[in-house]
Amino acid sequence: MPKKYGFVQELIKNRTLFLMLLPVLAYFLVNNYVPMVGIYYAFVRFDFNTPLFRMDFIGLKNFEFLWRSGKLTELTYNTIGYNLIFIGLGNALSVTVAILVSEVKSKWFKKITQSVLFLPYFVSFVILSVIVFNIFNFEHGVLNTVLKALGADPVDVYSKPKVWILLIVVFYLWKSFGYSMVIYLAAITGIGEDYYEAAKIDGANTFQRAWHITLPMLKNTFVILLLFSLGTIMKGQFDLFYQMVGNNGLLYSTTDILDTYVYRSLKVTFDMGMATAAGVYQSLFGFTLIMVVNGIIRKINKEYALF
Amino acid sequence: MKHTIRAWRTGVVAAAVLLLAACQGHGSGDASLPSPSASSAFTHPDANGGRSADDRSEHVDLQFYMLGSAPPDMPRIQSAINEMTEAELNASVTFNFIAWTDYDLKYKQLLSSGQSVDLLFTADWAQYQTYAKRGAFLPLDDLLPAASPALQRFVPQETWDAVRIDGHIYTVPSTFKEYVTGGFVWREDLREKYGLPKPVDIATFEAYLAGIKRHEPDMQPVAIGAEVQNALAFSQLDVTRHSIGSMPYGLLATYANPADVRSYWGSPEQLADLKLFKRWSDLGYFSKNELNTSEFNQDRIIDGSAAAMFGDNLIRYNEALNNMQAAHPDWRLGYYPFPMAKGYATPVHPTHNGFAIPKSAKHPERALAFYEKLVTDERYNRLTEYGIEGVNYTIEDGYYRMIGDTSTNGFPREAMNGWAWRNPEYMLFAPSYDEIRSTFRELDRIQKPDIYTGFAEDDTAYQAEKAALDQVQKLYLYPLLAGLVDDVDAGLATFMKEAKEAGLDKVQAAYKKQWLAYLKERGIAGS
Repeated sequence: MPKKYGFVQELIKNRTLFLMLLPVLAYFLVNNYVPMVGIYYAFVRFDFNTPLFRMDFIGLKNFEFLWRSGKLTELTYNTIGYNLIFIGLGNALSVTVAILVSEVKSKWFKKITQSVLFLPYFVSFVILSVIVFNIFNFEHGVLNTVLKALGADPVDVYSKPKVWILLIVVFYLWKSFGYSMVIYLAAITGIGEDYYEAAKIDGANTFQRAWHITLPMLKNTFVILLLFSLGTIMKGQFDLFYQMVGNNGLLYSTTDILDTYVYRSLKVTFDMGMATAAGVYQSLFGFTLIMVVNGIIRKINKEYALF
Repeated sequence: MKHTIRAWRTGVVAAAVLLLAACQGHGSGDASLPSPSASSAFTHPDANGGRSADDRSEHVDLQFYMLGSAPPDMPRIQSAINEMTEAELNASVTFNFIAWTDYDLKYKQLLSSGQSVDLLFTADWAQYQTYAKRGAFLPLDDLLPAASPALQRFVPQETWDAVRIDGHIYTVPSTFKEYVTGGFVWREDLREKYGLPKPVDIATFEAYLAGIKRHEPDMQPVAIGAEVQNALAFSQLDVTRHSIGSMPYGLLATYANPADVRSYWGSPEQLADLKLFKRWSDLGYFSKNELNTSEFNQDRIIDGSAAAMFGDNLIRYNEALNNMQAAHPDWRLGYYPFPMAKGYATPVHPTHNGFAIPKSAKHPERALAFYEKLVTDERYNRLTEYGIEGVNYTIEDGYYRMIGDTSTNGFPREAMNGWAWRNPEYMLFAPSYDEIRSTFRELDRIQKPDIYTGFAEDDTAYQAEKAALDQVQKLYLYPLLAGLVDDVDAGLATFMKEAKEAGLDKVQAAYKKQWLAYLKERGIAGS
C-alpha cells in the first residue's frame, strides 16, 4: 500500500462500492451481531417478567451444570476426538477418491460415481438411525440373523460402547465424504491442464502427477475446509450422535458429545440462562480453536490463512 | 486497507450500541408491567390502553398454539372459523401446531423468545405448574369476568380453584371428566387361544407374558419403548406401590400417606423392582435394545410385533384397538385399569388440559373472548372438535360417525387435539366409546380426588443439580431399568453414588420441603 487514505476519503472515493456493501453489512449486523446481546443471558437468573438487563446478575452459576456431573472433560475429549477423526479421515478419503475419480476418463462412469457417493449426504439422520437399528438390533437385526444362520452366537452391539466409535466414524464418512469429495473434484477441475501436460512431457507417471501437482494445488481448498470445520467442532454432528445413540446410557462413555449432553440437560430445565451458558461455552471454544489454528497457518504461509 | 477495516469496525460497534440501546428501551417498556403477585387490578396495556374492556374496534389476528400436527383439512376449518370470528369478534385466528418431537423444548423456546402467542395449550405433563409459577402466563383472575363472563360461569368454581398457582388462575381448564390412568393392555385373542390368565396384577401379567413367549416365540411379549422410566418404573410404582403420582428425583409418597415422602431410589423396594425388570429382560419379554427403539408401543401392538403394554390409558387403548382392528378384524385387545388393582381411582386433574395466555400475548382479552366461543358456542366447538358435518362426520343415532377412514378423512375425530375445549354438552362419541364410558362408571365408584397434580414445584434453587441428576439417570439408571446391567446390586450402588455426587440429597430435601408445605396449605392430612 503506497499511500494511506483516511476513512472519509476512502468513503468518498468508493461511494458506489460502499453503497453496494450496505445491504450485506445490514444483514450481518441484524442477524449476526445484534443477537450477541443475548450472551448476557448466560450470566443472569432468567425471569419471564423482567427485561434482560434488569435480571439478577449471578456470575458463572449458569455454567455450573456443565461440570456438575463431572463429565465435562470426558465430553470435551469425546467431542474433539471425534471431530479430529472426522476431519482427518474425511479429508484424506475425499481427496483420494476425488483424485481417483478425476483420473477416470469415462465421463459416464465419472458421473455415476459422483452421484452414488454424493447421495448418502441427503439421507436424514433419522432414517440412518432406523437403518442402523435394523442392522444391529439384537433380536431381529440383519447382522444377528446372518450370524444365527451361520450357527454363530448373536452379538448385542448396543451394549458395546467401544464398537460405536468405529460405527459412528464409518457412518459419518459414508454420509458426508461425498460432499467434500465434490468440492475437491471441482478444485481439481480448476487446475490448468498445462501443468499436467508439462509433467507428462517430463515423464511423470499418474502417481507422481497426483503427488506433485494435484495435492499441492488442493492445499488452499483443504485449508479453507479445515478452518470451516474447526469452527463448528464444538457443535458438530449433533444429529448423528443423537439419532444413533438416543437414550442408551450404556454407550455414553464413548459417544456422548457436548452437544448431546447439553441438549439432554436443557430438556429437563427451563432456564434460558443455562441454555445460553452452554452456547457461550461452545462458541468460545470454537472461537479460540479457529483463532489458534488460523494463527498457526498464517505463521507458516500467509496466503492460506482465512484472515 | 487495514485502516479501512478498523474504521468500519468502529462504525459497526457504534451501530450495534445504538441498536442495543433501542432494544433496551423497548425492554424497559415491558418492565412497567406489574408482576402477577402484585396485580389485583391487572390489565394488559396493549389490549385496552387503560380502558376496562376491549371495545373490539381494532381488527386483530390471534395466534393459537396447540400440540400435535395439523390435520389435512385444517385450512378449511380455519377459514370457516375465521368467517365467524371476523363477524363476531373482529378478529382472525391462526392455528399453529407444535410438533410432538421435543415439544418440551419448543414450549420453552416459544415462551422465552418473546414471540407473540395469544393462546397456548397447557397440561400438567407439559409443565403448566412450573411455567405458571415462573410467571410465563398472564393471571386471568381479573381478565375473565371482563373478557369472557360466560366462560367464567361455565367452568365450575372448584375447577377454577384447582388450577390456581400461588392463588392465581393461569389457565382455562377443561370441564370434561375423564380418567387417564394406567392399565394392562394385552391381546385378548391370544390369551384365550392359549388359555393364559387375565392380567390383573404383576403375577398374572408375568404369567401372560411367559405364555406368549412360549407359544409365540417371534412376538415380543411386552412393548416398553425407549422411555423405560415411564413404562417400567412409574407403572410399577403406580400399580404395586400406590404412589401418589410420578414424583421426580426418585421420591415416593403413597396415596394413603402423602406426608411420608421418602427416597425410592436406593431402597429395597427399588432393588426388588429392578430385579423384576431384569428377569423380564433375561426371559426375553422385551428386547435387549429397548432403549434404542423409536417405534411407538401402540404401533407395535397394532402391527402385531408385540403382545402387551405395561400401563396405557383407556382412551389411547381404545384408539389402538380401533386402529388394530381396521387392519386385523379378528385380533382383539383386553384392558385392565390399574385403579381396579389398587382399589381407588383419581379422575383427571383440571390442570391436565387447559389453555393459557402467555405474557407475550398481544391481545389477551380478544383471545379469551375467542376461547369462550370455542368452548361455549356449539358451532365453534363442533367445528374444531369434529370437523365439518357432512364432510368429515355425520351424526347417527346420537353417535359420531367418521366419513371414510383415518387415511381418507381430512379431519378425524378430535384431530386438532381439542382436549382442552371439550364441552360435555356438545361432545359426540363413536359407538366404541360405550366401553370406555362403562369403565369410567366403574371407576366412578372407587374415585378419590387427585391430590398430587395441583402441586407446583419451584426448581430455581437447584437447577444445575436437577440437570446433572437427569444425566446420571440416563447414564446409570436407564440401563438398569432396561435389564442391561448384569449385577443389579452393584449397578444400583453405582447409580446411587453418582446421583449423590450430582446433588441428589439437596434436590430431594428441597422438593420434600415444598411438598410438605403444599400439603399443609391445602389442608391435606398427613396421617
